[in-house]
Amino acid sequence: MTTIEVAFVVIVGFAGGLAAGTGFVAFLVVLGVIPRLMQLTKTMKWIHAYEWSAVAGAAVGGWMSLRSSVIGASKYWLIPLGLFSGVFIGMLAAALTEVLNVWPILAKRMGMADKVILLLMAIVFGKVFGALFYWIYFVEGK
Amino acid sequence: MKLRHRVQVKPHEVVVVGDVAQMIATDDSLLEKIKQLPLYHIQPHDKNIVIIDIMKVIDTIVRSEKAVDVQTIGPAQTIIEVVYEKKRVSFLSFLLVWILLFIGSALAIMNFHEDVSMKEMHQHLYTMITGEKAEKPLLFQIPYSLGLGIGMILFFNHLFRKRLNEEPSPLEVEMFNYQQSLDQYVILHENKESMKRIDDD
Repeated sequence: MTTIEVAFVVIVGFAGGLAAGTGFVAFLVVLGVIPRLMQLTKTMKWIHAYEWSAVAGAAVGGWMSLRSSVIGASKYWLIPLGLFSGVFIGMLAAALTEVLNVWPILAKRMGMADKVILLLMAIVFGKVFGALFYWIYFVEGK
Repeated sequence: MKLRHRVQVKPHEVVVVGDVAQMIATDDSLLEKIKQLPLYHIQPHDKNIVIIDIMKVIDTIVRSEKAVDVQTIGPAQTIIEVVYEKKRVSFLSFLLVWILLFIGSALAIMNFHEDVSMKEMHQHLYTMITGEKAEKPLLFQIPYSLGLGIGMILFFNHLFRKRLNEEPSPLEVEMFNYQQSLDQYVILHENKESMKRIDDD
């Protein structure tokens, strides 16, 4: 490869990473998962550490998924890993229904303001059931 | 005198000054008299929202007691909500909505997994960590599924009916914002005093 080709590839790769990274940050900011976690745990002062945690996670994840590197650790590491990633996706999903403004309208229009928590539980159980069903039965059928 | 923000009344009731306003006066008997002054009679055509402007309240007071000096603080209008006999939401329709949400969210999460190719991602991750191949890495996927529910509950800060801490949940804040916007809307649109139009019809 000539120097110009190398420089070109480097620039294209860097630009692509920059675009994806900014998009990822914008996504996190819009959904407001990190502020919500800080509010729950009352750890506002660690905000910069949390920022770096998200950045480092994205960088490590990006590297590992692109390079297919193998750690060779015990498979039981997957249990906490799965739990954490599930909690994260669950919070994203919850934040998404928040953005869509579903709840106030549902509660107001249908006169079910006192039953919102039960309806929320319907969604939570639906998600858990749907995910379990998908992984245990649905995937096999394809 | 300070107007209340929102007052609920029954249909066909007469709203008196004491209903919509908190008042302080040096003369107690005068205060009692002013509180009983009729302000508005709720009509069936008012539907369920009436706005009482502060000007109307002052007008009513000074018409009956010429000598009083009225000073006001707080909101400039009160929203009167006429509460009709509450329609009971039947248990059946609630159950229907519950099942709808349950099936809908179950399908939505399956579609999401399919959409982002999560199956391949999980198999890949399993290989990355353990070095072995697995068609169904359930060891990862079952905790993941349970975590999904935990994450949603954490976000809304509700462990069923028990709250995790004192702060209002995003859900409650959202409901509050929605109610505020609705109030703002009716204050401007139902209050004839707040708009002046050229009569051209």
